[in-house]
Amino acid sequence: MSVPVRWRKAIRDLRQRPGRSLLTVLALAAGVFEVALVLHAYGLLQPELRDMYGRTSPASATLDVESTGATLPYDRLVDSLRALPGIALAEARPVIVARVRSGPDEWLPALLNVVRDFDGQRIDRFSRDRGTWSPAPGEVVLERTALRVAGAKIGDTLTYRLEDGREVRLRVAGTAHAPGMPPAWMEHMVPGFVAWDSNARGEGSGETGQLRLVTTHPLDEGDIRDRADTARALLARNGLRVSRVNVPPPGQHPHAAQMAAFRFLLLAFGILSLVLSAVLAAAMVHAFMAEERRQVGVMKAIGGTSRQVAGIYLAEVALLAGAALVVGLPPGLWLGRAYAEFSAGILNTDVSHSPFPWWALGVVLVVGLGLPLLVSLTPVWRAAGIPVREALAEEAPPLSRLQAIDAWLRRFTWLPRPLALALRTALARRARLALAISLLGAGGASFMAALNVAEAWNRAVDADFARRRYDLALSLAEPVAIAKLEQLWPQVPGVARVEYWPLANAWMLDPAGVATTGVALAGVEPASPLLAPRLIAGRWLAPGDDRAVVVNQAVALRGRGYSPGDSLRVRLRGQPVAFAVVGVARELAPMPAAYAPRAAVLAATGRSPDSTRTARIVLARHDDQAQREAARALERACEGAGLQVGSLQRMLDARQGILDHLVIIYSVLTLASLIVVFVGGLGLTSTLTLSVLQRTREIGVMSALGATPRTLATHVWIEGLVLGALSWVAALLLTLPVSWALEQACGRIFLKAPLDFHLSPRALVLWLAFVLVLATFSSFHPARRAARLRVNEALGAL
Amino acid sequence: MISLRGLSRTFVTPAGRFDAIRGVDLDVHDGEFVAIVGRSGSGKTTLMNLIAGLDRPTAGSVTVAGRGLHELGHDQLASWRGRNVGIVFQFFQLLPTLSVAENVMLAMDLAGGVPARERPARTASLLERVGIAEQAEKLPAMLSGGQQQRVAIARALANDPPLLLADEPTGNLDSATSADIFALFGSLARQGRTVVVVTHEREATTGVSRTVALADGALA
Repeated sequence: MSVPVRWRKAIRDLRQRPGRSLLTVLALAAGVFEVALVLHAYGLLQPELRDMYGRTSPASATLDVESTGATLPYDRLVDSLRALPGIALAEARPVIVARVRSGPDEWLPALLNVVRDFDGQRIDRFSRDRGTWSPAPGEVVLERTALRVAGAKIGDTLTYRLEDGREVRLRVAGTAHAPGMPPAWMEHMVPGFVAWDSNARGEGSGETGQLRLVTTHPLDEGDIRDRADTARALLARNGLRVSRVNVPPPGQHPHAAQMAAFRFLLLAFGILSLVLSAVLAAAMVHAFMAEERRQVGVMKAIGGTSRQVAGIYLAEVALLAGAALVVGLPPGLWLGRAYAEFSAGILNTDVSHSPFPWWALGVVLVVGLGLPLLVSLTPVWRAAGIPVREALAEEAPPLSRLQAIDAWLRRFTWLPRPLALALRTALARRARLALAISLLGAGGASFMAALNVAEAWNRAVDADFARRRYDLALSLAEPVAIAKLEQLWPQVPGVARVEYWPLANAWMLDPAGVATTGVALAGVEPASPLLAPRLIAGRWLAPGDDRAVVVNQAVALRGRGYSPGDSLRVRLRGQPVAFAVVGVARELAPMPAAYAPRAAVLAATGRSPDSTRTARIVLARHDDQAQREAARALERACEGAGLQVGSLQRMLDARQGILDHLVIIYSVLTLASLIVVFVGGLGLTSTLTLSVLQRTREIGVMSALGATPRTLATHVWIEGLVLGALSWVAALLLTLPVSWALEQACGRIFLKAPLDFHLSPRALVLWLAFVLVLATFSSFHPARRAARLRVNEALGAL
Repeated sequence: MISLRGLSRTFVTPAGRFDAIRGVDLDVHDGEFVAIVGRSGSGKTTLMNLIAGLDRPTAGSVTVAGRGLHELGHDQLASWRGRNVGIVFQFFQLLPTLSVAENVMLAMDLAGGVPARERPARTASLLERVGIAEQAEKLPAMLSGGQQQRVAIARALANDPPLLLADEPTGNLDSATSADIFALFGSLARQGRTVVVVTHEREATTGVSRTVALADGALA
């Protein structure tokens, strides 16, 4: 049975106009590609990010027991804890906070987890990655992301400096994958795992006896706290003192906020991609139908109904959409997986075992086939319903519109003739103009929004660090007389100022007096120039303040909320202390922190004003080299003076650490920008080419009247530039609300406060330059086609 | 076959109202071969569009083959046209991506009056009748103007309509070919078909049974 002629026409139209068909398929394929990429990546990552933390059997609560390490009867304690009601699992996992040598006089923070049985882990599980499993006493297994940070490879020997200054050399036996831990490069520290009989253990190692619990209701924070209290009481009955009970937000990975922001952005740009894809499809179909106008008229004149004619063109759209799926789907899926693997790597997980997200494929198929058909319905039906007389008449914009445009253009007598003509052409065809501008405008808005959000993050980081006006933060293992420390500064190059801030780990108390959340309490001189937090309520500390405190937004949002005038009750050294909240500061890192006058913190902690464990050091120069030289000199000076350095942080490193947390955010923003550039470029090329195809007869007439190929090509090029410039204005208007919404949402998810609205001048200039260059390149093929058209071919076009 | 009563068609343009057809009364009987002649801009094409149902009158009525066209909706009109009217355009208006035979068969496909299995044979017969059977598989662009016009006539006859309308069918053809085309119309009229030809070439209207002159939208 032969195919009815009307369906043959649908196929033949596509085959016999390969250039037009190819352009349309490529443009639609670009939409399919981007949607497939984003949805496949999202589909692979979403379940992994949701489930990976749960698979590690994360501790519901961790109890730090004051101990001397191996002397604790861990096995008996674990058995006792496991027998408690409501406790599902218990495991001892002592930790040793140390430093590992990364270069001459350079040390990085390190954390050694002491593991009872590498093959019988119950809580905070990790798995073998490479090398030897179950390390020997002189070995360490590093978390896989720590190798690069430590600058080591398997088989190397690392030097660890313990709390008492003792140095232990451990051979890197292998690597482990601990998806519950944040990536080492992001935290700028070196986590590792050692055996129960490790050489790093013992007197003076600074080991914290840590007992980890998983409760039978691991998502119920109240229940977890009750169980943890019971466990603490049990340990107390055994003569042990629990120094800290840590109950992390149940079921949340340490980087849950970062992952949430990432997923939000991926989804947001996925939706923007869909919109872009729809506009692109609409633009293509609209141009396509405009070109078919006369044929529609002929078919209706010889008896075709609107439904029959529309059917032919919808079939053509379906065929094009099908071809676009074949072209766009495989690379979209492939790159989506590659991007998911890359992102998973950043988040210290992998998606190699993630099931294929069939739902994503389904959505792409529906979108790939359905969206072009859906957006085609209106233009196809409208074109098919056009009266025959109008369809067969020479297509021209209404005279009134042309007259209005001409009257407007006459005001600009200085406009060169080709530019005036190009403007006239672009403005006269409103639907085509609107679609081209929508397409590029949506693309430009997405591109600018990506850059705006990225810069808003950078500005937030810069602003935060600009308010911490010191270069080095020194923390010593033991308190030392300030007078002794003062003797060190002449040995450190470029020291301009030093302040000694007492720091204390306090516990916020609820109205019933129960400790809820840990808060870092810093004692600063109210007049100190080293700290100038951004206040969102109240005031900063003032000379004469006593028990006053400025809290950050992470404290202010806890419990029933804190604002100026409230009382913040904390537990310090086991005693409740009340501070009057005088201000709320907004900080980048949403860890609970509070600032009180130095004297008040010293009084509350019972510390001497003449000794300190910390120093904030301001250098004469603030560049990386100055900070490195000063840090190395300080390490040597401390060693020479017999002082144990707990940590020494360069503020530029701290800043980089924050920026590293944003790598995943930047990656999705970059991806979105690249997709937009690709789709936008293809869209503009297609739009301009079809514009030339539509105006074949017009070009023929101009050519017959003496227009040179150069003039015709210039005309097309300028039309492209006009479209590009107009779309830039549309993109600017559109990116304002889009960027605002994204910056608000990202900030709230990640920082618990919206990012400040930022419109990047760089983004505006870049997109304008890009769109003009794009218009030039996109015009190249259509302009060449216009210039090469033979007059008789052009005039004979149906 | 055709009955026009008080027919008017006015276009509203930015320059003002333009009366293309003014109060035309005209009857064309079955089997007549009528030429509507007039200068460019006299309203010939507008009149033909109204008779074919391609346009709607501002006033008056059009009755063709006993059917008042004002009774028909947009799509009903298209279906009616497919079965009752064959149209030949000045610029042939063949679909460029379909072969000669397919152009003819498309009209049958859209109208649905001829069973699918009979279409190839009927197409071959029509092409034979207009003298271009050997060109059946070629694309229109490969044919001369005269040959393309013959394809357009074959297409117009595809559904065996009682009425054939031709708008300047010889406007793009040389005089010898024009004479051939008019001879073809004459033979179709003799076979009982009503043929109305619109032309500005009064001298080319050889063989017509009646000539109707149109000037400034009214019968002269």
